[in-house]
Amino acid sequence: MAEKQPVIVVEDLVVAYDDNVVLDQINFSVEEGEIFVILGGSGSGKTTLLRNLVGLMRPRSGRILIRGKDFTAVSEDERTEMRRNMGMCFQSSALLGSISVADNVALPLREHTKLEESTIDIMTRIKLELVGLSGVENYLPSELSGGMRKRAGIARAMAMDPELIFYDEPSAGLDPIVAAGLDELIRTMQSTFNLTSVVVTHEMESVRIIADRICVLHRGRVAGIGTLDELEASDHPYIQQFFERRPDDADHENASYAQSLTGVE
Amino acid sequence: MTELLGRLGRWALEQLGAALRVSVLMVETVSWVVVAPLTGRGFRTRSSVEHFVEYGGRSLPIVGMICFLIGVIIALQASYTLDRFGANRYIADLVAVSALRELAPLMTAILIAGRCGSAITAEIGTMKVNEEIDALEVMGVSPLKYLVAPKFVAMVLAVPAVTALAMGIMIVGGWLSAVLVVGVETQVYISQTVGAIVEKDLLTGLVKSVFFGVAICWVGVYRGFQVEGGAEGVGRRTTSSVVTSIFLIICVDLVFTVLFYYL
Repeated sequence: MAEKQPVIVVEDLVVAYDDNVVLDQINFSVEEGEIFVILGGSGSGKTTLLRNLVGLMRPRSGRILIRGKDFTAVSEDERTEMRRNMGMCFQSSALLGSISVADNVALPLREHTKLEESTIDIMTRIKLELVGLSGVENYLPSELSGGMRKRAGIARAMAMDPELIFYDEPSAGLDPIVAAGLDELIRTMQSTFNLTSVVVTHEMESVRIIADRICVLHRGRVAGIGTLDELEASDHPYIQQFFERRPDDADHENASYAQSLTGVE
Repeated sequence: MTELLGRLGRWALEQLGAALRVSVLMVETVSWVVVAPLTGRGFRTRSSVEHFVEYGGRSLPIVGMICFLIGVIIALQASYTLDRFGANRYIADLVAVSALRELAPLMTAILIAGRCGSAITAEIGTMKVNEEIDALEVMGVSPLKYLVAPKFVAMVLAVPAVTALAMGIMIVGGWLSAVLVVGVETQVYISQTVGAIVEKDLLTGLVKSVFFGVAICWVGVYRGFQVEGGAEGVGRRTTSSVVTSIFLIICVDLVFTVLFYYL
């Protein structure tokens, strides 16, 4: 059997807003069936990276190969086709506010398939059951709690049975118990469906639970890629600082802040 | 001086860019309305009907009320001048022609711009802020197909439909005040009205109102997609949506008035 091809390959990705380079020379690949975590602090460019991976932004240069096809260069129709195999869970869950939870989950099915309404109904129930949300089909997203909304977002992302799923900050803004429940769900999804998952986060707690491999981003560059153990053994100062949850050097910060206020060297 | 020229140039380039983006939006929307259903990519008929009811049906009470009052007002204002010449019967002509050619289409468009154009901007803007537009995109569902095309069809049909009713209501308003206040006889009023209206007047008004509908929808959608940031951005774009669409309605009105003047 041939060697397994990576699902996503990112080659020399450069992303910039005008003159401001946000991501510089990013290279990594995501293997089939693994949970790949993109880890980084605020402003490290991790959300930008995710937006590029799902095609919401175009990079300045570089390639993003998904199953061997360059996602940045395909035609609009091909892109739509490729997206059927991808799901994405947004940080704000991004459920359409004007339609019910069930309609949200059914939306991709209604738009992409010609299934009977009764079949769609059953599939929607199954997906909601899968994420532990049964009985809320007819609620509007605004009537759900934050954690439930995230779960409904996952159900919607799973509607088309994708082989690749992206999570943007799945546990952001949730209490530890709900966040742990979501981590477990991400794990279950991956093991049940052999789902390749890419998770963007800054929460070390959930990284320890879910990550197969981790890519640490720092100031738009890859600081390190590897398993949790490998990175914990790394001597990269930023990775060490991040993993040990140490603040930036306080004296230095305060000094430069004072300097910026007073203008005195 | 050079700075002024530079600024002017940049402003012109920006406007050109905006015009270009609007045109792209227009072409793509029309292709979702016309081409997509033929190639089996579907059109959301139900959503379009719902929007038609919202834009047309729900606008009707306020548009009807205002157009009725305007009919009353023009009849009285006309009498102010015509009475001196003993020509009160021509109130009917004036009301009928101005209602059909100008006032009913214009008032309807302005009211629908305020009521529905703003709603379109606010809806799309809020969806953009909440990442809902991104979510549609990632699901491979075109926001133009899902959100814009049904609104576009509904708006282009609703504005002329409401306009046609508004024309009638305005004439009724004029008739009531002419008969009750000025003292014109009903029969005279009716025969004057019928004699004054030609087919072209009706056509002028309705053709204009179709384009008013196009303007309202596109401005609303374009401003909605322009929203950045949070709730404040939505508010700002919603205001500018109404202002821009009213301005555009007047411009379109001018173009068509000149056009029909020479035709």
